[in-house]
Amino acid sequence: MIDPTTISVVRSGLEQICDEMDLHTIRSAISPIISETNDCAHGIYHPRTGETIAQGHLGLPVFLATMQFTVQAVIERAERQGGFAPGDMWVLNDTYLGGTHLNDVTLLTPVFVDGELFALLANTGHWMDVGGATAGGWNPSAEDIHQEGIVIPPGKLYDRGRLNEELLAMFLANVRLPDDIRGDLGALTSALQKGEQRLGELLARRGVETVRDCLEELIGRSERQMRTYIEEIPDGDYEFADRIDNDGVVDEPIEIRLRIEIRGSEMRIDFAGTSARVRGPINISANTARSACYVALKHVFPDVPVNGGTFRPVTIAIPDGSVIAAEYPSPVSGYLEAVGRILDVVFGALAQAIPERVPAAPFGTTGVVTVGGRHPDTGAYFVGVFPYPGGYGATHQTDGLVHGNTPQSMANFVALEASEHRYPLRFEYFAIREGSGGAGWHRGGDGTTYRVTATGPCTLSVLGDRADSAPFGLHEGGSALPNDVRLITGGTEWRPPMRTKLARQPLAEGDSIEVASPGGGGFGDPLERDLELVERDLNHGYIGPEEAERTYGVRARVESETASRKRWSVERSDRAASAAVPSADVGAQQPRQEAR
Amino acid sequence: MTEGSFVGIDVGGTFTDLFVAGSNGDGPTVIKVASTPRDPSVGVLDALAAAGLRPEALEAILHGTTVATNALIERRGSRAALITTEGFRDVLELGRRDRPQMYGLWGRQRPLIGRDRRWEVRERIDHKGRVLTELDEDGLRELARALADDGIEAVVVAFLHSYVNPDHERRARELLLEANPDWHVVTSHSVLREYYEFERTSTAVVQGYIQPLVAGYAGRLTRKLEDWGFDREALLMQSNGGVTPVRRLAERAVHTIRSGPAAGVIAATELAREAGHSNVITADMGGTSFDVALSVDGRPVQRPQTELDFRIPVRVPMIDVRTIGAGGGSIAWVDRGGILQVGPRSAGAEPGPVAFGRGGTAPTVTDANVVLGRINPERPIGDEAGELDVDSARAAVAELGAPLGLDAEGAAEAILTVVNTLMAGEIRLISLERGHDPRDFVLVAFGGAGPLHAASLLTDIGMGSMLIPPHPGVLCAQGCADADVRYDFSQTLELILEPAAEAPAPPGLAAVLAEQRELGEAALRGDAIAFESIEVEHFAEMAYAGQIHRIRVPIERDWSARELADAFLGAYEREYGTTLTGAGIVLVNAATTARGIREHRASRGVPGAGRAPEPIGSRRAHLGAWIEVPIYRREHLAAGGSLTGPAVIEQEDTTTLVLDGMAAAVDDALNLIVEAR
Repeated sequence: MIDPTTISVVRSGLEQICDEMDLHTIRSAISPIISETNDCAHGIYHPRTGETIAQGHLGLPVFLATMQFTVQAVIERAERQGGFAPGDMWVLNDTYLGGTHLNDVTLLTPVFVDGELFALLANTGHWMDVGGATAGGWNPSAEDIHQEGIVIPPGKLYDRGRLNEELLAMFLANVRLPDDIRGDLGALTSALQKGEQRLGELLARRGVETVRDCLEELIGRSERQMRTYIEEIPDGDYEFADRIDNDGVVDEPIEIRLRIEIRGSEMRIDFAGTSARVRGPINISANTARSACYVALKHVFPDVPVNGGTFRPVTIAIPDGSVIAAEYPSPVSGYLEAVGRILDVVFGALAQAIPERVPAAPFGTTGVVTVGGRHPDTGAYFVGVFPYPGGYGATHQTDGLVHGNTPQSMANFVALEASEHRYPLRFEYFAIREGSGGAGWHRGGDGTTYRVTATGPCTLSVLGDRADSAPFGLHEGGSALPNDVRLITGGTEWRPPMRTKLARQPLAEGDSIEVASPGGGGFGDPLERDLELVERDLNHGYIGPEEAERTYGVRARVESETASRKRWSVERSDRAASAAVPSADVGAQQPRQEAR
Repeated sequence: MTEGSFVGIDVGGTFTDLFVAGSNGDGPTVIKVASTPRDPSVGVLDALAAAGLRPEALEAILHGTTVATNALIERRGSRAALITTEGFRDVLELGRRDRPQMYGLWGRQRPLIGRDRRWEVRERIDHKGRVLTELDEDGLRELARALADDGIEAVVVAFLHSYVNPDHERRARELLLEANPDWHVVTSHSVLREYYEFERTSTAVVQGYIQPLVAGYAGRLTRKLEDWGFDREALLMQSNGGVTPVRRLAERAVHTIRSGPAAGVIAATELAREAGHSNVITADMGGTSFDVALSVDGRPVQRPQTELDFRIPVRVPMIDVRTIGAGGGSIAWVDRGGILQVGPRSAGAEPGPVAFGRGGTAPTVTDANVVLGRINPERPIGDEAGELDVDSARAAVAELGAPLGLDAEGAAEAILTVVNTLMAGEIRLISLERGHDPRDFVLVAFGGAGPLHAASLLTDIGMGSMLIPPHPGVLCAQGCADADVRYDFSQTLELILEPAAEAPAPPGLAAVLAEQRELGEAALRGDAIAFESIEVEHFAEMAYAGQIHRIRVPIERDWSARELADAFLGAYEREYGTTLTGAGIVLVNAATTARGIREHRASRGVPGAGRAPEPIGSRRAHLGAWIEVPIYRREHLAAGGSLTGPAVIEQEDTTTLVLDGMAAAVDDALNLIVEAR
């Protein structure tokens, strides 16, 4: 058995190496999507099984497990070609093997010690553009993968240290921002080199055999830790279903349905009943669906360190031919919407079993707004990406957060002033969307609303969701307001036929888009919300007096007025006074108490 | 006390420390009195009285204060209003779309100015500074009148793109002061002349939130010092490592947040410089946290932005002090996977470590040190309770170790190894991420627990030597006494460099730098302090086009685009080990630092005779195995003396551990210099 000090020290050492790779890429990448929104991830992987050994703390959650699947695909390919050699670096973006969408390109390099393969280092970085029909890659009208960009099958970018110039030239000839991509590729490549160097130092310090033993041991420890959490969930079957509005091509709702079966320390997630594969780009590969389940579980049990052992107690059944089992040539560029809905249904099912651990639905759409064109001042090609902001679902502990990033991402919103420097755009307003969070004992976070006007001709695409089915509340909490996207072109306001999916809309100078993003669902009965909080919500304009009276059961009275803004005081009305048991006790129904 | 002393005073949460460098062979004066949180200026005067100083004998009083930091932590700041461009009052609350932690979808946010006190006015300027919508002066007057009746102390004005054209913010300030001359009015461009509306607004809001309080403190302190007979102006420590006169304290309020740790870094850097080391890693380990910082070429490394709380960034230059939850009180625990962890939870002062006998039951880092005999149980540090309860500490540590198959010593060693690994990792990260190898640096360890752990850090990282100051517990006060006067200026230009061979200097750069130089020199002249010299340095923050993270490079005012680009590429190569081909270079911000260099009073002692110190006895301590370790008193270590490890050196405010194979020598300034061999 490895001594407890060594295992702890080696784990910290491995995590620090991954953190350093994350930081290196984030700080040196050109594309704002990496440098500003951290759209990348780095990890160390088992040389034979491809299982995750350690991951950085800054990388995006959505890559949590997809990278492991991608690494496994590369191992298989490399073995058929005679194995890895020192100085090799593999590249791929095959969405059906590993995951996500074509913009996420994975690099992988083997680490050798004394001529023997010790581990694999890999990273995934979001390329700002990979060609295809739409700048930026989010193509809501794509009907096959080739309309979304170039497909890179697993292959060697470096062969024993020698750069494959032709391969690189081929990528760069097929993307809209070749200089940016070249810069990002440089950052991602040198991050892996840095990681290799640090891993070498760790091995020199701690000994190769010791570290190798620790790798196996750490994977086993994570599995045990996860099992202790699953054991605390009452045995039973928990079902939930929710919808995606449409696929961007055919206007029909897509259902994501699951049943979670808990038996002792085992969890089985079965997606039977989920809709079949669709024409538009909402499909995801089975491995991406698995990764989405892992992200949801990690949000519910954040303490468990992620490696290859963490999810061994979890089996996931995904029906062949379903929207979450994409195969060539299904389009996938809207994958984040399907990932988001999987998170929602996992939360919805687990909330029935462990209410005080699970949040109500977050705003539930990545809803990327992409603006591209040639800048009128410079003539240079630009692609601006604005990920959707929105509210988080309320939890047993707190109200939902305002202006969160999607649970599968850590991406920030680009500074408005910086956007106006870079793109021919002007923001007209950027504000909290009042009243959009779900009502509840704890209130869901509000969404965000903004309008942006083109100051020169450009092309706009939107790939969002949650216009037809709103983020749900839990335990009598209300649902949030759904998504709403409007355009104003040539002085006319209109709503896209697919609501929040719109491909390649030309904007002329003065045309605008208005976005009103969903809030998060509420938690518990709003009639039991603390009076002081209702009063604050009213005075801060998060809710209006009608909602306060109708939903929260209070009587609101104007106390004073400053610059035409009213200050309210509230008191409980008769209706609320007779309300039932406080939802604060919602966790008490749980048969087993939290262990600590 | 000799004429012309410089007095450094650091007000902490518990103690107010005073330091006066000695002269003519005398040692320094070091005083600790209780802090007076209701009015910290009382503690300052208490310390001066306790030191027996005469006001007329003082050249300068230099002072670090936590007034601003505490007001923020405890949310005791002013009742402030925010006025923004129409449509943008929520920028402060929305931030940049984030969450407090990667996993776990909960989050709580408390903006310093709530939505009910955020207002909007019609006006709009674009990114080139062109006025799109004139300022609605009538609307603003009306709003100002309404706010005048609303009990507001401070009004913050933050308009879009004011960093490029501040006219509307300036006019708004005039109109607001017309409505109420007693208001503290803060404009965003005057606090930060850079783009990024959320960060600029947040910085201005923090300034407005604490300015009235800090102004009140400055007034009280000035009056008390005058009453005491001190007729010069006190100087206040800033987080950039420089001081500013008390008169400017209110307007510089945001620059004083977290100035205490900065002062410690200044002192550590200065001590190391006098001892002949210009590359320094400073390590301050206290009860709850471990602060680490880096000084390169004698200058502490700074960072441009700091997050004070979730969604409360301030973008002012601060010495880059990284904090992790690893201190003497950090709790050791075993996670569900059976892995030993230390921190970030701390037992704090109450209940404290098990050994303190105040009800703590969770084993801490201090308990591990007690179990291993590294801390003297009869003369503990920072604790008036007297003797430590070794048996209880041992029982708690043994209980933790049992499921891991470790006895008390084994578990205690494991706790120390884990916490040292965390600290060593942070030291590696802060140096490696800037392209430095920590093995090229000297470690300066201070704080109550720093000197106890420093030898292990040295070994873990492979560093060659460390310096333990003579008074590791009052280093922040000493840093105040050492600091120069400093002002920073920065302005966003967003100039694309055209690095053709014969290209002239980029347009506008020289003019902006000249203006910043003038502002800095004028501020220093206005401070009426006798400087040895005035030093002005220019910097450019540059990036590849599209990159967010900028690199700060020292430049000259008249440099050509070529020279600027070369400086950037050199710095980029050092930091990232590579440069990018084909990407344009943008000069984002032009910055200037103006320093009034104060005459440095070296805290030199007399060169010593090199006597070998005598141990006062020995104690059984566990250093891999139980051995008898000689114990020295720090005050017995005269200049020129030396000893070899293993050894434990005890003094009032800390314990220093020297490991086997290490050699320690006392230099002329009474620093303990420990070399690993």
